[in-house]
Amino acid sequence: MKTPAFELHIPTTLKEALGIARELHERGHDFDWISGGTDLIPNYKWGINPRPHVISISGVDELKGISPTRIGAMARLQDIVESPVAHPLIVEAAGTIASIMIRRSGTLGGNLCLDTRCFWLNQSETWRKSIDYCHKCDAGTGADCRVIPNQNELCVATYQGDLAPALMCLDASVHLASHRGTRSMPLEDFFQEDGITRNVLQQGEIVTHVEIPKGSTSVVGSYQKLRHREAWDFPEGGVAFSVSLSDDGTPVSFNMASTGFESIPRKHHDLVETISKGPDWAVEAERLGVELKRAVRPVLNTWFPPAYRKKMASVLARRAMEEASKRLTSAWQS
Amino acid sequence: MSKDKEIVGYRQQPGKLDFTRPGSGGSSPLSEDRDPEMIPASQGGELEQPWGAHRHDNLVTGRVIGKRTPLIDGKWKVTGQAIYGDDVRLPGEIIGRLVRTDRHYAKVLSIDMTEAESIPGVIATATGVDAPSAFGVLPVTKDEHAMALEKVRHIGDIVACVAAVDEETARLAASKVQVEYEGLEPIFDMRDGLKNSTDPIHDRGKYHIGESNVQKRVFQRFGRISDLEKSMASYDDDWTFKGVNHGFTEPHAVVAHWDPRGRLTLYTPQQVPHYVHRALADVLEIPMHQINVHRTYVGGGFGGKSDPFPHEMCAAILARKSGRPVRITFDREEVFWTNRGRHPSRISMSIHADDKGRLSGIETDALIDGGGFASFGHVTTYYNGVLHTAPYEIGAFHYTGARVWTNKPASGAMRGHGAVNSRCAVEVGIDHISEEMDVDPIDLRLANLLPPNSATITGFRITSIGMRECLEKVRRQSGWDEKFRKMPLGKGIGVGCGFFISGSGLPIHWDPNKFPHATVHLKIDMDGGVTVHTGAADIGQGSDTVVGQAVAEVLGLPMDMIRIRSKESDTSPVDLGSYSSRVTFMNANAAVSAAMEIRSNLIDAASELTGVERADLVLGDRRIFNKKDPGVGVSYLEALHKAQEDKGALIASGSYRTPPMGKMHKGAAAGLAPAYSFSAYVAEVDVDVETGKIKVEKVWAAHDCGKALNPLSVEGQIIGSCHMGLGQVISEEMKYGRTGNLLNPDLLGYKIPTVHEMPEVVPIIVESNDPEGPFGAKEAGEGPLLPILPAVCNAVYDAIGVRVNELPLTPDRLHRAIERTCKHKGVKDPRDLPNPSLQKGALSDVLIARAEVHSERDKQRRLNPNPEAYFNGQLFNHLTTGPPEEHDPEWTIQVLPDEEYLNNPKLAGSAWLHKERRHMEESG
Repeated sequence: MKTPAFELHIPTTLKEALGIARELHERGHDFDWISGGTDLIPNYKWGINPRPHVISISGVDELKGISPTRIGAMARLQDIVESPVAHPLIVEAAGTIASIMIRRSGTLGGNLCLDTRCFWLNQSETWRKSIDYCHKCDAGTGADCRVIPNQNELCVATYQGDLAPALMCLDASVHLASHRGTRSMPLEDFFQEDGITRNVLQQGEIVTHVEIPKGSTSVVGSYQKLRHREAWDFPEGGVAFSVSLSDDGTPVSFNMASTGFESIPRKHHDLVETISKGPDWAVEAERLGVELKRAVRPVLNTWFPPAYRKKMASVLARRAMEEASKRLTSAWQS
Repeated sequence: MSKDKEIVGYRQQPGKLDFTRPGSGGSSPLSEDRDPEMIPASQGGELEQPWGAHRHDNLVTGRVIGKRTPLIDGKWKVTGQAIYGDDVRLPGEIIGRLVRTDRHYAKVLSIDMTEAESIPGVIATATGVDAPSAFGVLPVTKDEHAMALEKVRHIGDIVACVAAVDEETARLAASKVQVEYEGLEPIFDMRDGLKNSTDPIHDRGKYHIGESNVQKRVFQRFGRISDLEKSMASYDDDWTFKGVNHGFTEPHAVVAHWDPRGRLTLYTPQQVPHYVHRALADVLEIPMHQINVHRTYVGGGFGGKSDPFPHEMCAAILARKSGRPVRITFDREEVFWTNRGRHPSRISMSIHADDKGRLSGIETDALIDGGGFASFGHVTTYYNGVLHTAPYEIGAFHYTGARVWTNKPASGAMRGHGAVNSRCAVEVGIDHISEEMDVDPIDLRLANLLPPNSATITGFRITSIGMRECLEKVRRQSGWDEKFRKMPLGKGIGVGCGFFISGSGLPIHWDPNKFPHATVHLKIDMDGGVTVHTGAADIGQGSDTVVGQAVAEVLGLPMDMIRIRSKESDTSPVDLGSYSSRVTFMNANAAVSAAMEIRSNLIDAASELTGVERADLVLGDRRIFNKKDPGVGVSYLEALHKAQEDKGALIASGSYRTPPMGKMHKGAAAGLAPAYSFSAYVAEVDVDVETGKIKVEKVWAAHDCGKALNPLSVEGQIIGSCHMGLGQVISEEMKYGRTGNLLNPDLLGYKIPTVHEMPEVVPIIVESNDPEGPFGAKEAGEGPLLPILPAVCNAVYDAIGVRVNELPLTPDRLHRAIERTCKHKGVKDPRDLPNPSLQKGALSDVLIARAEVHSERDKQRRLNPNPEAYFNGQLFNHLTTGPPEEHDPEWTIQVLPDEEYLNNPKLAGSAWLHKERRHMEESG
């Protein structure tokens, strides 16, 4: 394996970083951002859409830092896992990512912007040439998608980040910056259906941090992840569920979000609205599970077959609800 | 360990010979007391030998054999000083890169290298025509070339190679090679390989089987076939096994260098340097003496580095063309394309038991997917059958096997070669039969074991067998009787056994006929250190350590006085290599016989110095002394220097060759070994019935290795085998997509179990003291892998009542099986599944009583130096005085199918419907 050559830019402030991006953009140069590199570099080595310029933001201090309401894009995943102040749901989801060594390098921003994955894509150049490439990385051939054949409009590569559903369940918003200014939005609006576009980021724009509402301290949740091995493996499906409580401990609202089933993570507003807010809300776990199973649309491009992942969506959703309920009870008791 | 570490030498008696300072040589200045617990009872020590004395007992000095000895190359590895394939750096080296095809199956019409050659920095290029000679690990199936000659047979097959000043240039040049192909119709399903094809993947000339892609077929029928029908319980299932790869850490790498004298040195991490040596001579068309094969440290082999490989040839060709050293290192993906892993298989397994709880017959039909080349496949086809004819006594055995070529990377030899998949099916079948007969599966096994010094149904010679002890130990230590069929849904326990060869009886290349399998040279100069020259390849299994231990033990020396030179064919005697678990058995035997010669020289010298009779002299820690009066003696160095008078360095050579064995039928040699290892595992699992995910909680792993020369490395082998087998049973598979592409040629997609999946393993060593093994030892490297697969499958059944027939048991597969079982049992929610129970039936007492009788019989047989002959079949009251086929007209040995079989063949058996081309011509 040989990483293709690229020019590396190492800014130390956000302003400088955005300036470099602007300049490259104006000069017509393609570039990528790099934070931990655990996603980008393997793809580069495989020759998947490498670009001639790479801007590293690992030296930008403004993007670091973890507090209960704000986590910087450059916060290392393992630092989140070990953080005493991050919300337990985020800690739980972060703790399932890859392995400790990879988490020491990987970052929050990188995990949110994780490239989508597919058996027909994450392969070497010779391999991809043997299937005449695919839509997502077509080497100028205009190739069709290998999962949904005879079309090259939609890419269905799977989004396999773990943090997004957990953050969605906490109603987190994501903050972006570019030389044009900053903007923010609820995390679910950040993602855009398509395995290639993935999210709303414009050329030259980066995620600076996520903001978690103050009230999240009273939110209890659980993240359930489906994978074959307890380390390294990306989620073949992940479901986060949360319940927020009023001061007297009765549930006020619920959230459920999923990852690993489609090209983007999804927040399932319509599903949780049907949960009755009485004390026995957890008995509906079974029903919610079945509904989530109907809602997700996995395709055949990861390790487990889609039929199985769909069925597991219902198990994961039910377990996430049951686990949240269990945690709620034990939190109340203590 | 020694009880009393303070002893410094021995009592000096007045008037006796001058006794030099205590100890001589070695890093410890003081001589150490011999450890009586390491010395066999037959030699006056305290080592208990419940299995009787051994012919090597008198060579035991109580030094290192049986002691936990760290591997002697361990420190090199952990400090990063070990030189692996890719670590070799020679002056002026250039980088080679292989051009691999992106076609599944195609004719190569033309190869245009001009663009590649025009890139600055490209120094040499080569294509198939540069080395047209075929090679292959087995002389009967040489079907590989350095680079494709007329066809490419799978994606990743090599068409050309380039060498350039650096890796980047080499990669660029490789990508610019233009190849023109004419596509051929590929096949991916092994069942298609049985059919006639317009373009068979290889052409075997007149030996070709029909126009099919069948590379090898086997038919064997032994015993009283009529017994097969008299069954009280039977098992019948069709298994599917996916292919697995060795997953060794170090990707293949090679450096080739033609020295100024025109000799080739090839640095390669090889398990079998000798066969590479031969293949290089063939392909490069130079005599063998012009080649030095230098085995580097090997970062794991497991069978995956035992073929001579095209990339080794390519490196040598590029180095010859460029006049500079050429280094080639693989990406992981190329390792998967080279593969030689376990064959994907479809095995149909039938087992029958009669009303006395005897195994009246095993019928196996195994179709194995060889991929694009033959590799070891000829042997694998036999092993899928013959390696499950023990440890049980069986009434009849019927095996049909076939290996086909498909357009996928070649399968080959992998730890547990050929025995693993069918063993899994057999052991799961026995579990099923016990269930049908209402008996405990361990009771059933214990009542059907072959005794020591017996012959199996196909004529293998079982010498020592510790199967019974293995089963008894895992049963006791795991708390089997309290757990089996008694745990709640989702928790289960299961048992599996294994049987494996300890060295193969016939070498792959048997010319000249009486050439030994292993040879060891010793050289001792005046410094007293012993240089051991051996060709055995240390692939991390510890062969250097074990050969050193054998020498140290016989000569009574500490390990730091032994140095091993095993790397270069220039200085090492020929050894057949590290495969078929042969090294400890054969190479340590050769080392013992070489050391005996030196020992004899030393005793001669000591006798001359002390005037003590030769017969009374023994070796201790760096001393030779009178065993009746230990104060009388000389130091090792004194005796050595005396022995070296007028001749200088002492040298000795020892070798090992297997005794003549086996029957005479076609294929009788496959599976013949001078000894066999046995193992039994109990696995405890936790199954998530909703997701189908298996967590193996704990494994009790008993292995009969004859004698643990180094218990530390035996335990390491057991735990390592357990991990590797676990991969095949729960997660590892080479996954091919609908286009025939290998979808997971990387270590993220190829799911080797992590530390989270690894259970606690309790290694249990059983020592059956093999009469021919060095100090009683047999193999421990491969056999321990076999039982983990069925043990887990059977534990899954115990946990959730789901019988499986597909590996690996990935969660999605097990989930499907759970859904089927739920449907079958009319259960809606898998959490309500009933788990199996056991109400012991009348047969149970019969089996327990028979096991007790057999246990006593076995004890008598192993202690009796001349036991009566025992042939498989005596359990069924067949004649006892000789091979049953000589006495029993109904007893069959049949190696060709008859008309009756061909009217209704099984899957692999249908390979026999084809005629070989030479017979087609005869019959017109």
